[in-house]
Amino acid sequence: MSKLRFFWEQSWLLLVSSLIFGVLLAMADAALAPRIKRNETEKFTRLAGGMLPEAVRFEPVEPKIAVTASNGKTVEVEVYRGLDEQGRTAGWAFACEGGGFSDKIKLVVGVDGRFEKLAGFGVLSSNETPGFGDKITIPGGFFQKQFVGAPADKLTLVKAGRPEQIDAEIVAITGATVTSQAVVDILNTYVLAIRSALKEQGLLN
Amino acid sequence: MAENQTSVGKSFLAGLWDENPVLRLILGMCPTLAVTTSLQAALTMGASVIFVLICSNLVVSAMRNLLKPHLRILMFTLTIAAFVTIADLFLKAYQPEMSAKLGPYIPLIIVNCIIICRAEACASKNGLLVSLADALGMGLGFTGALTVLAVIRELLATGQIVFTFSRSFTLIRLPDVPLFRMAGMAMPVGAFLTLGLMLGLVKLLTTKRA
Amino acid sequence: MQTLESLLLGFIGIMIVNNLVFTKFLGTCPYLGVSGRIDTAFGMGCAVTFVVTLAGALTWTLDYLVLIPCGLDVMRYVCYILVIAAMVQLVEMYVHKFFPVLYESFGIFLPLISTNCAILGMCLFINLWGIDNLPEAVVLSAGAGLGFTLAICIMAGIRENLELADVPAALRGAPITLITAGLLTLAFMGFAGMIR
Repeated sequence: MSKLRFFWEQSWLLLVSSLIFGVLLAMADAALAPRIKRNETEKFTRLAGGMLPEAVRFEPVEPKIAVTASNGKTVEVEVYRGLDEQGRTAGWAFACEGGGFSDKIKLVVGVDGRFEKLAGFGVLSSNETPGFGDKITIPGGFFQKQFVGAPADKLTLVKAGRPEQIDAEIVAITGATVTSQAVVDILNTYVLAIRSALKEQGLLN
Repeated sequence: MAENQTSVGKSFLAGLWDENPVLRLILGMCPTLAVTTSLQAALTMGASVIFVLICSNLVVSAMRNLLKPHLRILMFTLTIAAFVTIADLFLKAYQPEMSAKLGPYIPLIIVNCIIICRAEACASKNGLLVSLADALGMGLGFTGALTVLAVIRELLATGQIVFTFSRSFTLIRLPDVPLFRMAGMAMPVGAFLTLGLMLGLVKLLTTKRA
Repeated sequence: MQTLESLLLGFIGIMIVNNLVFTKFLGTCPYLGVSGRIDTAFGMGCAVTFVVTLAGALTWTLDYLVLIPCGLDVMRYVCYILVIAAMVQLVEMYVHKFFPVLYESFGIFLPLISTNCAILGMCLFINLWGIDNLPEAVVLSAGAGLGFTLAICIMAGIRENLELADVPAALRGAPITLITAGLLTLAFMGFAGMIR
């Protein structure tokens, strides 16, 4: 009995304050969680909406689509269907990721309604080399522009070429071939898999 | 009372220069080096550290007579972790861009030596007022050092200082010459070299004065 | 075979290419503070490797068995740091009692490293990178620990020689250590992009 009392005397402060901090955290979380959630969806819709200007709202496609990423893992991707004012499909958008030069690159990719042409990509997060690899993050930069209107099919990376010509050949950023290749690889992995999955579900004809 | 006031003022001023955590005590290197690629990130970090430091110092000071010696560190860690989580949630909600940029360095405030060191060395021995002054002084000293480092690094790396709130605006813009486009300054190399030279300069100044 | 290959690549990647000290600044405090002599540096490195491997495995398990199923993401930081602090204490007592020789070589560093950012940082990165199996979490954290040992030993070797060098008075001590660290980082940047 005295042992129990000793234990209580030593640790009551720790136990009581754990309880108080627990309540404090729960309150902070309850107050801020809706806003955090909204921030995340807002960022996605802002990027996706910029690529698909006709789309006024985005609806998730059920069920999620399983994509086998380049490292052999299977990832569940939530694909969003962008709807225009009349409720017709204006395009598709999804978030995807892959290994870049120094860290993971997370992208939002937009594709047109018939899944034939890319509407471009936006960067959710990346940590590429400043001055070189981070050029992929410039909205409307020469690298991002090459993807707007490019075929939603297998893309290849070339070291030299004409970036203003929109086709399946993507010209790499000088000094950042690895980063450029990473972006092309991510797109190749996800776009092809999602196209065939959507076809299987009968959402594309 | 008069004596008390001087010690409050003293402990506030100590953190700014004489015991500046970054420049003099070489504490909290990890965030100092990691987040100073841009001024905005550095200020966000500084503000979070000030918030956590004040809260933890106040809590620790309030319960200083109840602390059991061997559970002391555990108690400090628990307090700090709770307030860091709150700061992290707050940033995620109101500064999502910065929160994404700082990433794991916000939770890493938990193991920032400055905070646990102040809890141990000051707050667990002194009253609320002194602890508050100490937290403010240390926090501002830390933020000041971060600001100087970030201004140098961002200016030399990108040639400009940019703030992003709902939209981005440029604070300073330097002429477009290669000297102000040193990408290396934004990389880890730039962080180590700049801080090393800065510490050398501080040492030079203090030895001259003495 | 695919998994073995990716495990090995991940291990080398985090040890050399994405070394926590050089690219993420994690564990910079002991890296600058305890790197005066090569034998203490090695002891510190061993202690960190040991603890980070255990901590990586434990926090991953905690994350996937308790925190994620219960939706308790908000408690993550508190739980992580408490697990690490408690574990360091237990390991210290255990090693002290059963392996006194081992305790003498690196046990004295154990209390220091519960507040080492490399440990908590690695656990956070495992969560951030979405590592979804235990072997990978263990291999990555062991690699991170070895990477830290590598970094701190190189640094200690250089600093032992620096003692004989004629460094300007103002730069002696911490400043020259930081500059050396910068140059080392530059050297390790050569590995960047080797493994993706």
